Amino acid sequence: MLQRLRSSLVVRVTFLIVTLSIVVIGLVGSALYNQLSNGVFKEKLNLSLADASSSASSTAFQIALSQFQDAPTSKVILADILSSPSSSADYSGRETAIFPIPNSGSNPSYRGTSNQLMESSIPADFRKLVRKSKNPHWIRTNINYIGGSSEKGLVIGQLLDVSTAGKYEIYTLFSLNQQSQTIALIRNSLWLTGLALTLLIGLIAWLVLRQLIAPVREAARIAEELTAGDLEQRMEVNGEDEIARLGYAFNEMAASLKQQILRLENLSRLQQRFVSDVSHELRTPLTTMRMAAQVLFDAKKEFEPALYRSAELLLSQIERFEGLLTDLLEVSRFDAEAAVMELAKVDLVELVKEAVDYVHPSLERIITVEVKKSDAGVEVPIWVDADKRRINRILRNLLTNALDHHEGKPIEVSVVETDNEVAVGVRDHGIGFNQKERAMLFDRFWRADPSRARTRGGTGLGLSISLEDAKLHQGTLEAWGVPGQGANFVLTLPKYAGGIIKSHPIELIPNSMRASGL
Amino acid sequence: MTSIMVVDDDQDLAEMLGIVLNGAGYEVDLVSRGDEVMDLFTAQNPDLVLLDVMLPGIDGVEVCKLIREKSMVPIVMLTAKGDTQDVVAGLEAGADDYMVKPFNPTELVARIKVRLRRSNNDLGSGLRIGNIEIDQIAHTIVRGKEVIPLTRLEFDLLVALAKEPGRVFTREALLSEVWGYRPATDTRLVNVHIQRLRSKVEADPENPEIILTVRGVGYKAGVPGSPS
Repeated sequence: MLQRLRSSLVVRVTFLIVTLSIVVIGLVGSALYNQLSNGVFKEKLNLSLADASSSASSTAFQIALSQFQDAPTSKVILADILSSPSSSADYSGRETAIFPIPNSGSNPSYRGTSNQLMESSIPADFRKLVRKSKNPHWIRTNINYIGGSSEKGLVIGQLLDVSTAGKYEIYTLFSLNQQSQTIALIRNSLWLTGLALTLLIGLIAWLVLRQLIAPVREAARIAEELTAGDLEQRMEVNGEDEIARLGYAFNEMAASLKQQILRLENLSRLQQRFVSDVSHELRTPLTTMRMAAQVLFDAKKEFEPALYRSAELLLSQIERFEGLLTDLLEVSRFDAEAAVMELAKVDLVELVKEAVDYVHPSLERIITVEVKKSDAGVEVPIWVDADKRRINRILRNLLTNALDHHEGKPIEVSVVETDNEVAVGVRDHGIGFNQKERAMLFDRFWRADPSRARTRGGTGLGLSISLEDAKLHQGTLEAWGVPGQGANFVLTLPKYAGGIIKSHPIELIPNSMRASGL
Repeated sequence: MTSIMVVDDDQDLAEMLGIVLNGAGYEVDLVSRGDEVMDLFTAQNPDLVLLDVMLPGIDGVEVCKLIREKSMVPIVMLTAKGDTQDVVAGLEAGADDYMVKPFNPTELVARIKVRLRRSNNDLGSGLRIGNIEIDQIAHTIVRGKEVIPLTRLEFDLLVALAKEPGRVFTREALLSEVWGYRPATDTRLVNVHIQRLRSKVEADPENPEIILTVRGVGYKAGVPGSPS
């Protein structure tokens, strides 16, 4: 239910409306009930007061009369008083009680209640009140009969001062049975009406809301389909009301989205096309230049020194240009999101060793490689699903970068495998870099120190491309460095295609550095 | 003298290729349009074709198909794109090898030499692979009584596998053996040609019996004389 309340606007609003209706109907119903029941009671009270007053007068008269005449005995008079007939049928269930007040000259034999009435029907407090006052009083009470039956009623009491025959309390009790029934009827009717109203309001709210919400639901459905890629989906629009305006606006949004997407797709296509054209147009003359340079270079022995050197420079610069072009095209392929992975199972250890040999073929071992396998074996393949060409490129870039900055100190390469990831760390102890430089390290064409001679002739795109390559594998490439303490580059890749990295087997900050608080 | 047909619409590049190949001792015919290739090809009957992918008239991949309908001459594609689909399209059209521009001319010459070399050493008849008989002198292969035409590269590939029946060849090993590569990074070349070869020699290319795949490693020769 709570779930439905949260997920469905119709259920929530209907629930709210019904709740509010119950409160309002409850308030109105109870006010109505009070008014009606008070009215019924008041009417009965007024009639009863009049009746009680007339019956008291006649009682006073009878008592007074009994003083002068040698008339009926006190018993007869008492019986007369107690059973004086009611003036109308409404007063059936009327009872009378009379109590002489001692020491007021009253005749104690005029004490009694009508047939089965128990004196306890008249509360003692009420009697005190009546004895002290000259005016009649009334109170609601339970009329108790001998034999245990009881009914709701009204008692009216007054002090009867018969100047010659002393004082009496006289009480007239009226049953409220009929009124109770009337009031119960009113109450039941109110309950029923309230319940029916609440249900009806709930039903109406539900129907109206459903009607209102239907286009919203439709819009949500269509929005989901748009998101899923069906750009042709549109809302049906009828009339000119707010819902229709929603429909129009929605359709316009969908149309504009479609236009934007098509425009971007077109731009991306244009971009890829441009890259491919540039690639072709630049590469053909470059090939010619390269061949011409090679022919010159091959014949360099016949040249005088200046020409000889020129031929050398020409070839090396064409090669550099070629590298730059390749990197630029690669970058633009990343930008166009047109980079394609060619995944295969490759041995990371083998790749690292190949890369080390490639960047540093000499016998002088500056670079050391350490392999840690999850199952404790060493010098065995570490298989990973990766694009060999890209991983090769990352490794060569990291190693070239380390060799550019190692300042003659050793470079440590570690290869680590866990169940889920593989990682390669390249740690040098060279010039390092500061925080500011670290932030720009992977920027295109950024150079750590412009005044520093480039020893390896990189393109300035290496680290940037490596980062993109790592991301393409769902991997990470991170860098740590401290000026004068060297740098650490860590490449972490998921071991299996489609996997994600859950841990980093190689710490970015080397242990020795963390211990010294750096 | 060995003649090479160079098909490229870029006059300067074609001329430069001519200079380099002449320097390496080959005779060179230059063609600049795709739709002119077939006439000259029939007339000159070159020993090898260097074919650019982007050509006016008919594109290089189509030209490659046209040549393959007539001849098993070695074809090396020249492509400005290293992109998979272009390379694979060229190889599937029947090219034996490809070079990505800008290429190293020394490497180009080396590759051309590999494609032109005749496997003259240890010629032996009776070399078998699966139920196929290879005649290295006549340069033909026979299945039953049916002679199956193969390109020189396909023949070399089959011979390489058949010569060492027990050996499992990695793709890299086949690359260096058949194509003469040193840095063996592009294994698509092997995959495409193995498929082409299978479609010619296997009774059922889906269930190969002559060239078997060794999962995760490479390929090996099927057992000679096994029923087909």
